[in-house]
Amino acid sequence: MTPSWISPDSLLIAWLLVPYLAAFLAVLLPSLSHALVVLCCGATAWVGAAALITGTTRPLQLLGEFGVPLSLEPLAGWFVLLNGLVCLAVWIEARRQGWDRTGWMLLLVLLGSLNTSFLTTDLISLYVALEVVGITAFLLILKGRSANATWIALRYLLIGNTTMAIYLIGAGLVYAQAGSFAFAALAQLPLGAPLVLVLVGLLTKAGVFLNGLWLPRTHAEAPAEVSALLSGVVVGGGALPLLRLEQLNPAIGELLLPIALASAVLGLIYALGVTDAKRLLAWSTLAQMGLVLLAPAAGGLMAFSHGVAKSGLFLTARQWPSRSLETWRQQPLAAPLLITLLMGSCSIAGLAPLLGYAAKKQLESAMPPAIAAALLVLSVGSVAVYCRLCRAPLAAASGSQAASAALPWGAWLLMLPLVGGGVLLLAEVKRGWLVSLVLLGLGLGLDQLLERRRQHVGHGLPSLDRLPDLVGGLGLVGAGLLLSIGAELG
Amino acid sequence: MAPIRLLELLILLAVLAGFAGLLLRRNLFLKVLSMDVMGSAVVALFVLLAARSGLRSPILPRSGELLAGDYADPIPQAVILTAIVIGLSIQALLLVVITQMARIDPSLNEASFEATDQP
Repeated sequence: MTPSWISPDSLLIAWLLVPYLAAFLAVLLPSLSHALVVLCCGATAWVGAAALITGTTRPLQLLGEFGVPLSLEPLAGWFVLLNGLVCLAVWIEARRQGWDRTGWMLLLVLLGSLNTSFLTTDLISLYVALEVVGITAFLLILKGRSANATWIALRYLLIGNTTMAIYLIGAGLVYAQAGSFAFAALAQLPLGAPLVLVLVGLLTKAGVFLNGLWLPRTHAEAPAEVSALLSGVVVGGGALPLLRLEQLNPAIGELLLPIALASAVLGLIYALGVTDAKRLLAWSTLAQMGLVLLAPAAGGLMAFSHGVAKSGLFLTARQWPSRSLETWRQQPLAAPLLITLLMGSCSIAGLAPLLGYAAKKQLESAMPPAIAAALLVLSVGSVAVYCRLCRAPLAAASGSQAASAALPWGAWLLMLPLVGGGVLLLAEVKRGWLVSLVLLGLGLGLDQLLERRRQHVGHGLPSLDRLPDLVGGLGLVGAGLLLSIGAELG
Repeated sequence: MAPIRLLELLILLAVLAGFAGLLLRRNLFLKVLSMDVMGSAVVALFVLLAARSGLRSPILPRSGELLAGDYADPIPQAVILTAIVIGLSIQALLLVVITQMARIDPSLNEASFEATDQP
């Protein structure tokens, strides 16, 4: 007979709390830190996978009526699994970079607070979890130890905290009108100012459209492992609550649809225009987060396939000879590195049989035909974006060079679910190979066309990410949302 | 005008003033202060929300009997306590970073930190 404290609920609570405890232990007893990180990441991946495989929803209410409501359903399962895998991969790579005990502490706190933010279903617990995520990410960006890293980190925390103040005003108004902080209470209210304020906060955390203008420079300038964490999972802390709200009230999904599509277009245009490879990846994150928000039915898989591939790509960034895409053709890459780069790129570009293909198909089938057609046009763009990364030639394998280049095990761990999941889910999406091939051809053509233009014309893209632009973006999106709601009421 | 409406209006003004300061001020220190003005306005909003049902502190006497019905709502008060602590710690972190940045540009003009390369 099992003791009463080993119930699934208490195990779930223990799983949520252990990373914080482990973070303190990792500082006090550095010799234990590696074991603790592996244990926490493994447990997180296992909980996420279990939620996906069983497909059940497990609601949990802590401390009575006004306590903390938690919920672990398959949608959250995707994000939790992603969190475990990405943190594990980052651990593998960061060990090589000689992270110290504070680094492991921050990684564990980030893992724990992201888990909390993925499970919680009330506005205040989410606020606390997202603020902890923000502070931890800020400290991780500071690991860059340059003047530029300091500036980027300051900008990140300043915008993050401002936007969370706006979010709190929204939460307060929700409580005034509905008498509860639960997501469900917000979704039942008629669309109005409280919802808009909460959405502005979450859109900024998710890095979508004008609210996400902070994202490209931040993700590009952070150290490679930190970029992988930020682009892979941290943006999910804002995206999952948005998906949950869309699930509870489809009208919120309709409200967010133009913003999500605009984000995808904006991200693609800049990803096609920039000349820095890390910044290309970061702008593409902004585009992909827009696609994630399109449909709650496909959002989980979309976020998972993007997060895994993008983290893998960022983890290889330390071994690139340079970040400049203009000299990318002349820089040979070693075979293991090139394979990782190709695989991640092909998955995000949506080529079969990788996981990104299954995610795109699922998204297309969840959307009405007109939007699905627009998505096809957008995927031509993303093929053209990732063509630019795949142009690097293969290095001639001379023995000494191959031995000196360390194998990217962390990135390979992330490529595993891309191939495995892609092949598993391929059975569900049989048709569309031909369309996929046509898209590939069109994407390659677009890439050639743009490449010729890039050689003749200078880059005319305006700079959108000075600090006043970021603050102004918040105001613009908030005002736009309010106007669109007002127009519907009138 | 009812006093509670007037207070709501003042809080709204404080939020807008903070936002405008964040947008228009060039000095990083003033930007952080503007952010704090917004944060304080949010705290005031929650305290005001709690006071809608009454002003008496929501603490039961030792005997356990209710003295009157006009207790303040304890939930917004409890919630905002957490937000105050988080706001303070973020403020501290930002100020530490700003003191480091003052070594590069003592006038703390944001323009001297913005990168000028392409997007």
